[in-house]
Amino acid sequence: MTTRYARTPKPSGSTFEVLSWFYMRASGALLALMVVFHLIWMHYVIGLTNIDFDVIAGRWTGPGGIFWRSYDLTLLILASLHGMNGIRFVTDDYIHNRGWRAVVKALIALVLLLMVVFGGLVIFTFNG
Amino acid sequence: MQVTLKIQRFNPEKDSAPYWKEYTIEAEPTDRVLDGLLKIKLEQDGTLTMRSSCAHGICGSDAMRINGVNRLACKSLFQEVGNNVTVEPIAGLPVIKDLVVDMEPFMEHYRSVLPFFINDDPPPEKERLQSEEDRLKFEETTKCILCGCCTTSCPTFWATDAYVGPAAIVQAHRFIFDSRDQGSAQRLEILADPDGVWRCRTIFNCTNACPREIKVTEAIAEVKKEILFSKL
Amino acid sequence: MQYHYHKHDVIIVGAGGAGLMAALYAGKEVDTAVISKLYPTRSHTGAAQGGIGAALANLEEDHWEWHAYDTIKGADFIGDQDAIEFMCKDAPNVVFELEHMGLPFDRTPEGKISQRRFGGHTNNETKQAVMRACNSADRTGHMILQTLYQQCIKHNVNFYDEYQMLDLIIEDGEARGVVAYEIDTGELHVFHAKAIMLATGGWGRVWNITSNALTLTGDGPAIVARHGLPLEDMEFFQFHPTGLFKLGILITEAVRGEGGVLINGKGERFMPKYAPTVKELASRDVVSRAIYLEVLEGNGIDGKDYVYLDITPKTVNHYFEVDNSRLPNGELRHIDEDYVRAKLEDITDFCKTYVGVDPTKEPIPVQPTAHYAMGGIPTDNDTRVIANENKDPIPGLYAAGECACVSVHGGNRLGTNSLLDIVVFGRRGGKVMAEEVKQKDFKPIDAESAVAKVQAELDAILNNQGTETIAAIQQEMKNIMSKDVGVFRVEEGMAEAVKKLRELRERYKHIHIDDKGKRFNTNLMEAWQLGNLLDIALITAESALARKESRGAHARDDFKERDDENWMKHTMAYLDADGNVTLKYKPVVVTKYQPVKRVY
Repeated sequence: MTTRYARTPKPSGSTFEVLSWFYMRASGALLALMVVFHLIWMHYVIGLTNIDFDVIAGRWTGPGGIFWRSYDLTLLILASLHGMNGIRFVTDDYIHNRGWRAVVKALIALVLLLMVVFGGLVIFTFNG
Repeated sequence: MQVTLKIQRFNPEKDSAPYWKEYTIEAEPTDRVLDGLLKIKLEQDGTLTMRSSCAHGICGSDAMRINGVNRLACKSLFQEVGNNVTVEPIAGLPVIKDLVVDMEPFMEHYRSVLPFFINDDPPPEKERLQSEEDRLKFEETTKCILCGCCTTSCPTFWATDAYVGPAAIVQAHRFIFDSRDQGSAQRLEILADPDGVWRCRTIFNCTNACPREIKVTEAIAEVKKEILFSKL
Repeated sequence: MQYHYHKHDVIIVGAGGAGLMAALYAGKEVDTAVISKLYPTRSHTGAAQGGIGAALANLEEDHWEWHAYDTIKGADFIGDQDAIEFMCKDAPNVVFELEHMGLPFDRTPEGKISQRRFGGHTNNETKQAVMRACNSADRTGHMILQTLYQQCIKHNVNFYDEYQMLDLIIEDGEARGVVAYEIDTGELHVFHAKAIMLATGGWGRVWNITSNALTLTGDGPAIVARHGLPLEDMEFFQFHPTGLFKLGILITEAVRGEGGVLINGKGERFMPKYAPTVKELASRDVVSRAIYLEVLEGNGIDGKDYVYLDITPKTVNHYFEVDNSRLPNGELRHIDEDYVRAKLEDITDFCKTYVGVDPTKEPIPVQPTAHYAMGGIPTDNDTRVIANENKDPIPGLYAAGECACVSVHGGNRLGTNSLLDIVVFGRRGGKVMAEEVKQKDFKPIDAESAVAKVQAELDAILNNQGTETIAAIQQEMKNIMSKDVGVFRVEEGMAEAVKKLRELRERYKHIHIDDKGKRFNTNLMEAWQLGNLLDIALITAESALARKESRGAHARDDFKERDDENWMKHTMAYLDADGNVTLKYKPVVVTKYQPVKRVY
């Protein structure tokens, strides 16, 4: 059993940060793949000039509907979470006032919530 | 050869802000920037103030920004840095006077990571045994002279000095990976703080700046991995 | 008079190996504080490279008695044998303690502390070099300093960093306090204590080419001398044979321990002429003189005043064969480039950085460099400072490390014995101080007068309208000392040096500086420190002039032999207010070994 030394400072051992760090890398790797696939599909398979509401609607309501809705939902959640978590971490680099940090982080949480909820709703309930 | 040094001056008793001053000296290409500074102090301007001691890269006193890059003034020869040299104090720490900065915030971060050997088992009569293989795991990070070049070259540290900084992480690494030490868990907990290792964005300025050629970023990554695998 | 007042049981001045070790030991028992003019990790202990000597016998047979004899012989028989025996016997203990504190020694294949050969350390029976130096790569000093400082952090030792000691407070023959200058603010501080240890290091800055840091200005000994107390054996200053040419930067003896050889301008390995048995691993004064003599004969490289130190595997392996140099298991010794790079990493870095030489491919240009003070503040074996030849102690005053003279190094110090000296006597001093302060009370001090005295010294520099400069006086002092009180000395030269130094001390009274500020006034500190160097230089020159023999590092062309009948004694030099030096003598403590002719 090791002795605790009086010098241990601020409360630490943030498991949240470990998981957050791991998530950023895992989701980052996945996103890299998913985004590339998405770009290839949009640019080459569909063709940029061909993209319009009907094309996307057709994708979601057609035979591959479950696949596309799942894919887009995954991309939405992974990306929003990755992006907003990143901004959360960066606010601690540049905003030192605790009050302002709380405000900014609350806003970030709100934006995240809105993106995921509304985006998810659209994907799930879209009916053509 | 003629060398012109543009040095950042600041006298806390007189000046409201730092300013630049130019000096010209005669120097050999193999002279150190420190030799140049000391020459100016002896022959032209005794008020020029800097820290220095060993003059050969082992004590870490004279870390400065030379031509915009963190280096030890005593390890920088004019044949490398050229004959038009800019000299300023290291960034991210409060300037006390001229090239002298307040090292206390840096030293505090260092002290906070339990940078000392922890083993509460009663020691053997002779030496604790350790294989060369085990010793090599942490040999890199034993080389650290606490000069501050790494931490004060880190953009994250410039943005927020609450970040514990590369040097403190290197010092903690030295013990975390020492097979004889038993305090890893405590240190890993301290470093798993949001202002601990996670603030490192793998920018690599620290590795470039280190005059002892320690692979700082790699050491920090090893600590991150260690935290990850001990939590999972 | 404005000043800050502090009270601690024990005050230690200097945060190198000796000071930090003492702080750890005293700090365990009583209220202790360390005053240092530098951040502790900047101390010069960190520059020590080769190793710490201890007869662990981890790789081959060894005994502390052999270590003691080697040290006594290395000291050219003017070291105090009881102190030397104590130090060598304690050595394994102290090395194990450092390892228990976490010091990362190099290891043998069995996992024990690795050891290597070093100059002057021999198997007393075969007379061959023995593996006694315990090392951590070639940065043993750095590791010791870091480890001790880390332990001080662990044990919450009090530090006053960047405080320059300017005076001791000695009243009624007792040391009661220290006056120090806080470099950052320019304010004076009085430290009231029951015990004060001086661990302020050496004074290589007296000479031109030195391995010493800019901050090594002999502060402790100079202040002690100005209080009318003696300094011992000041004429014995070691010139390390292998400093980088022109820069003086130390190239560790360990290079020779690993097989490095010295080559002159004719391509000859000259050491066998001067030391037939151990050759490059003779004691340092012998090697320095050998280099000096070769240079004098015109055998320097390109006729200049340096030679080559060659650690290229090709050359080294060739001489291993020539010497039939073998490992303990009987194999012929052999090295390669990777070995050199690993074992001598820092040296490789210095050579590349400062002279553009890769030691694995080319030889290194080296010359003797002013390195170590064997003499200093005289103490007894418990680090108590003594006031005279009768060894009367000065209550409350202690000294350890390079600034002290116990004497364990006598006329010449062996490599790896300094790191040993500082931890052994730092520890001893810490323990003794802790015991002694528990048995005494604080005595009153006249802080006002003490501060006024110091302020007057500083004002004399700050308000000086004279025209003398630090630059001129400093350079002239170094020139005369390097020329006449260096590796080889003669009567006329030393007399000239004494005369010149007296003049310089007079001129020093008219020194003026540019910086009159209060904050971080390093200009003022440098000027004050120059005063210390001048006092020390004068005492050194006078002591050297008087000693009419050659012994250890004190080598005279006009008295080439050692004269045990008349000169086997320690010099005690007293400086008075007018700059006159009075010399008295103290006997050498002999336990077992009578002096013999010193051959390597």
